[in-house]
Amino acid sequence: MSVYKHNYRAYTGRVTPLWTRVLVLARYGLAEVWSSKVSIGLFTISLVPFLVFLVGIYLANNPIARFLVTKGSTPAPGFAINAAFFLKMLENQSWFALVLASWIAPRLITFDLADNALPILLSHPISRFGYVLGKFIALFAALSLVTWIPSLMLFAYQGYSSAQPWAFANLPIAAGLLAGAVIWIVFLSILGLALSSWVKWRVVATGIIFAAVFVPAGVGGIASAILRTKWGLLLNVPVMMTELWCRLLGAPDPMRPGQAIPTAAIVAMLVAACFICMGMLNKRIRAREVVRG
Amino acid sequence: MGIIDLDGLEVRLGGRTVLDGLTGELQGQAIGLLGPNGAGKSTLINTLLGFHLPSKGTATVFGLNAHHDRARIRQGIGYMPENDSFIGNMSGVRFVRYMAELAGLPASEALERAHEALFYVGLGEVRYRQVSTYSLGMKQLIKLAQALAHGPRLLILDEPTNGLDPMARQRMILAIKEIRKEGSIRLLISSHLLRDIDETCDEVLILKNGRIAALCNIEEERRANRNFMELETVGATEKFSVSIRGRGCECACFPGGRIKLVMPEDMEARDLYVIASEHGVQIRRMNLRRDSLEDIFLRAMENEGGRAENVSL
Repeated sequence: MSVYKHNYRAYTGRVTPLWTRVLVLARYGLAEVWSSKVSIGLFTISLVPFLVFLVGIYLANNPIARFLVTKGSTPAPGFAINAAFFLKMLENQSWFALVLASWIAPRLITFDLADNALPILLSHPISRFGYVLGKFIALFAALSLVTWIPSLMLFAYQGYSSAQPWAFANLPIAAGLLAGAVIWIVFLSILGLALSSWVKWRVVATGIIFAAVFVPAGVGGIASAILRTKWGLLLNVPVMMTELWCRLLGAPDPMRPGQAIPTAAIVAMLVAACFICMGMLNKRIRAREVVRG
Repeated sequence: MGIIDLDGLEVRLGGRTVLDGLTGELQGQAIGLLGPNGAGKSTLINTLLGFHLPSKGTATVFGLNAHHDRARIRQGIGYMPENDSFIGNMSGVRFVRYMAELAGLPASEALERAHEALFYVGLGEVRYRQVSTYSLGMKQLIKLAQALAHGPRLLILDEPTNGLDPMARQRMILAIKEIRKEGSIRLLISSHLLRDIDETCDEVLILKNGRIAALCNIEEERRANRNFMELETVGATEKFSVSIRGRGCECACFPGGRIKLVMPEDMEARDLYVIASEHGVQIRRMNLRRDSLEDIFLRAMENEGGRAENVSL
């Protein structure tokens, strides 16, 4: 089957192991993510807070620079590099992760669904689970670039810049950053893929992902106010996540006493949401994997 | 052992039996899968690809169980689905390379084979264009290219000439013939167009209502060289056909007084004129012809007590 001869020849070369096919999907998914100028723009913007926090750490650890910036006055409380500092960083980056997920997830799924590519994709040695896992890895990797990777880079920089042995004493913050960011982007990835699989138009899918985060939060707020209960907050993903991050990083809890939600309830809510999303994904992909007729 | 073995295969979808006790051994170089719409052709293909779990019986491809060993089977299969199925925002070469990599080719080999496959099917000049900009014929060809790129042992083509104009259809048929001639790939071609199967296949499996209506080797049937007769009649055609059936003829009647029949050994064409005159029927045209796939198909449909109205000739 050479180009110049135009005849067919059988393939007799090496074949890759079955498990690597998932990585093929992930690689093409990542390429799809980076092929969009909007994605690149969003990634670039998401680096701005990272740079601001980086400068903050530099100033916190460099008395001369701090003196020049503050002109000798008492440094602002934000200059203290502690759990609250990293919590702020994580919160910022998590918003960017939400924006990115709502842009990227539809690109990963809706192109395949709009052009009915699933019968061809899944006729290859790849299962439904493998397909979803490949897309999930692509989205997870993309969101990692704006969440736990820059957060841990800042942590490492603080450990390097600090005059005292800081890093080992604050390792729970690093673990909390990693765990908190990973929980958030796993949730976002599954939610993004599930909702995208049910919508044909990318723009609509983007809107629905935002709506899925904010509409239940509003409903939960109304329910809490009417029923005078704190459990409505379980529908408020941003509040739930902030509370979880506070506990993971060991930062002060922003909730009033008595209003705090137990960690087990937050985790159970997130797990339940993920299972619902996986059920939606499975149902949708199962319906589209074969040509009916 | 054939390429595909069916052993009492039953598939139920949505509470309905779609494939009902299929048993047979398919071993031709190019196997045609024929049947009216809804006969179960696509379901059989999907079962062979491991998408449907048989409710009874088994299907094996190259000796591997179609459901339990589906990953290994798919490794050796190239599948061209019936409907549009592609990723529109990718270039042709990137799409074919992607599919080849999913089938197990390393990235560099996949790229090389993607270029070759696209040239082979005649899309070499447009391989950098986005697939969504391709014409219908080109989309059919790129589906063929992606099915071929990884060098499968079995190529499954579901309605390969669907929606093609005569020129594009001819190109597709030529490509299939060439692949068959090359010899390293077995073909399973599903179609409701008898001509496509007739031109490309040496074995045919005819399905009707989820059952096997006929499984035969077209070449052997042709070699048997049974003489068929085609008549065009005017008058009481039905009475005439009942009468010739009574004389031992196998026949099928069509609108416009067309009758296809096989005469028994002891009967001659002259006898037909005699019977026709007895019933006041005029025989306007009489053609002697060799047994064709069309006849095989019609017999199969007759045996099943059905009508051949969904099949295009």
